[in-house]
Amino acid sequence: MNKDEFLSQLNDSLKRLPSAEREDILQDFIEHFEIGLSEGKSEDEIIKALGSPQHIAKEMVAAYHVEQVGQTASAGNMFRAVWAVIGLGFFNLVIVLGPFIALAGIVLAGWIVGLSFITSPILYIINIVIYPEIFVLFDLFVSIFLSGIGIFITIGMVHFTQWLVKGFVKYLNFNIRMVKGGMNNA
Amino acid sequence: MNVQFKKGVLELCVLVLLDKQDRYGYELVQMISDQIAISEGSVYPLLRRLTKEGYFTTYLKESTEGPSRKYYALTKEGREYLQNLLAEWEKFTKGVNRIIKEGVGDE
Repeated sequence: MNKDEFLSQLNDSLKRLPSAEREDILQDFIEHFEIGLSEGKSEDEIIKALGSPQHIAKEMVAAYHVEQVGQTASAGNMFRAVWAVIGLGFFNLVIVLGPFIALAGIVLAGWIVGLSFITSPILYIINIVIYPEIFVLFDLFVSIFLSGIGIFITIGMVHFTQWLVKGFVKYLNFNIRMVKGGMNNA
Repeated sequence: MNVQFKKGVLELCVLVLLDKQDRYGYELVQMISDQIAISEGSVYPLLRRLTKEGYFTTYLKESTEGPSRKYYALTKEGREYLQNLLAEWEKFTKGVNRIIKEGVGDE
């Protein structure tokens, strides 16, 4: 592998990043090569010391996606970040995917409970429309009561979800910092 | 050396090297790899991440030989972060050293 091949492999592995970000990263490595060569090193020596371009790219991509979640915590960004961090190593399949699925399950369950409580009066009305003969006032009160509780649960879930996303982004960052990737010479 | 351990330490090394003066990427990489066996490429993702987290700022400076170089400078947050990491590191190594001393002394 020579310098151009190294850079083009790096470029290919960074394809999913926006082009400005990618060019910025490549520029750092072009600079690295230029200084190394001017110090009399061979392209081969420099490449060997740098390690695999795919590995470097993986770390760059993971860090980028985690940063994106930090800015806009959409579900799509979250999944991309989790996926990219998992890609850093098999070990991460367990220590990232496991907690992620568990937490996502809790969040989903909370939202479903909250929203279905809120809509329970609607279900009650539908029930009345279909079976007008079993009109029971008590059920109406219960469903309105549930709806109120549902509103509280949902408000709680909004805060809880935000808090959880923040915490998980911190965990992903910690993970990128600590888990191997690019440390081939160890 | 343990891979995960080394990666955490790499961050501390970069921060310490930037404490006294601004340096460019290649310089940082060489100063670290002279002392510790690392994949040099892994320093760049680290530099990018710490820059995005607001611990560094970067600027381009012309060099007498060849093209301009990207310099990294510690921010105020970066210095605070460095102090925290250093305190943690010192506490950690002190503990490990004490354990080693006692362990070796027993033999």
